[in-house]
Amino acid sequence: MEWQSDEKELKAAGAELLGGGRRVGIRLRGWEIESCKRSILSSSLVQQWEEKLQTSHLPEMVFGESSLVLRHLNSGIKIYFNAFDALCGWKQEALPPVEVPAAAKWKFRNKPTDQVILDYDYTFTTPYCGSTGIEINPETERRSPYESSCLNWEDCQEQIDMVALAAKEPILFYDEIVLYEDELADNGISLLTVKVRVMPSGWFLLLRFWLRVDGVLMRLRDTRMHCIFGEGTKPIVLRESCWREATFLALSSKGYPKDSAAYSDPGIISERLPIVRRLTQKL
Amino acid sequence: MSDLDRQIEQLKRCEPLKESEVKALCLKAMEILVEESNVQRVDAPVTICGDIHGQFYDMKELFKVGGDCPKTNYLFLGDFVDRGYYSVETFLLLLALKTTCMPTIGTHLIDSVLQVRYPDRITLIRGNHESRQITQVYGFYDECLRKYGSANVWRYCTDIFDYLSLSALIENKIFSVHGGLSPAISTLDQIRIIDRKQEVPHDGAMCDLLWSDPEDVVDGWGLSPRGAGFLFGGSVVTTFNHTNDIDYICRAHQLVMEGYKWMFNNQIVTVWSAPNYCYRCGNVAAILELDENLERKFRVFDAAPQETRGAPAKKPPPDYFL
Repeated sequence: MEWQSDEKELKAAGAELLGGGRRVGIRLRGWEIESCKRSILSSSLVQQWEEKLQTSHLPEMVFGESSLVLRHLNSGIKIYFNAFDALCGWKQEALPPVEVPAAAKWKFRNKPTDQVILDYDYTFTTPYCGSTGIEINPETERRSPYESSCLNWEDCQEQIDMVALAAKEPILFYDEIVLYEDELADNGISLLTVKVRVMPSGWFLLLRFWLRVDGVLMRLRDTRMHCIFGEGTKPIVLRESCWREATFLALSSKGYPKDSAAYSDPGIISERLPIVRRLTQKL
Repeated sequence: MSDLDRQIEQLKRCEPLKESEVKALCLKAMEILVEESNVQRVDAPVTICGDIHGQFYDMKELFKVGGDCPKTNYLFLGDFVDRGYYSVETFLLLLALKTTCMPTIGTHLIDSVLQVRYPDRITLIRGNHESRQITQVYGFYDECLRKYGSANVWRYCTDIFDYLSLSALIENKIFSVHGGLSPAISTLDQIRIIDRKQEVPHDGAMCDLLWSDPEDVVDGWGLSPRGAGFLFGGSVVTTFNHTNDIDYICRAHQLVMEGYKWMFNNQIVTVWSAPNYCYRCGNVAAILELDENLERKFRVFDAAPQETRGAPAKKPPPDYFL
């Protein structure tokens, strides 16, 4: 069963839920926020995506038709999240593959002479931090690929106010959408999700890429966005990206456990991973 | 009603057995499994099933579609545990069914000496998740601890895993295995001589049979970018099938949205039997029914409806994530 918001709280905030068919979302303070959760791609769609992305490997579970879209109705600003754009980012970054612990032993194995070594980034690590665009009219959607040129994120000194976000304001809308997931053939996990919560004062979201290669390394790439509802024609959105990474070796040398079972929830262990990149920007 | 019949009825309601009962069941199953060959002979008609992953209520759907055991003869290709919520009940039900369906004397003896056929059987072979190491990371160990308060049941079950056969051969014509082929194996006899009664090793023939995958982009052998794990192409399968005089290979191990997938000109098929995998993928599942003439029929099925899943879905509290 999905999470349900309280009718009285919705009314007090002047919000209405998006209804009709399979639409899930909320409309308030000039924003329309909509999530869409669908099945993983069928084999034929996987083939189409592979051609479009010019790859022969995609994550095992691509929720290709799932998305989160936030539209600011007055300005036409649209912030959205989908697996395709994230995988374009993976393809561009093209990190070298990470060897699993068993690889050391395999180097001494008798191997077939005609063996081909595949070398794509099977962890599906992506620098993706959301897509943006201007939508003049929902009917004639002008969609720009990956990062739009018509909208700019500028570096800024301001920070997302985490203290304010910790306040237990009513949550009018909440959803979590998985964009893609891979089990790394039982060598860990690669997972890209986006979570959103909408309160009377504003909306907040977390796009998280979480990677654990068992016995080797963990990588966490978080993008948080916060918008405080205002009266202006153009909304103010803060975006904070924080990348963390650590090897199991480094963690165990600090006295932390080195078994993978201790690292199933990135939310709990993220503090243990040192920050490798941090950036705050404003739309 | 015998103890075992009562236990099966209990497990069919998704109620776990007592620890002492699990111990006794595992001991009994071990006596049967130890007699099985690494290439277990299976007679047709038979219904082949892929990964289940602890999705107990979806396995009940499988039995609804495929018919009850022992009326239908089943071959399960491993990965009974991990990821889903009910690995304990899933594996123990299959094990209990096996213990009742099998005669207590070694079947190899019956097959070869007496030429008697037992149509009512269930064959369980080992998947890569039937391992101590993997179950400690992907759910089964934690589930045992949660349901029994100790790791004893996990220990009994993982000890049984070591006895599970590695592959099956249906009417000498269809080779069935969890993962795939190995460059160290060209004949079935080479599989027969593996000493399987051990934890799944990190490399070697036994590891490959449980872990490898067919791969479109290679023709011969490929090595995964992880630096461990073989991939095999079409010509490898052609050679293997020809050498061993088999029609095709039936394997599991990889999620397929449509429940099954043929590759390399119908020389190998993947069967996946966990619908709506991890309770969120929205995929259908399939089983492969072979009649006495080895005529094929894929039966595709959906996940069990939410309301039959036992535990009521609770309204989760709002998540104040940061």
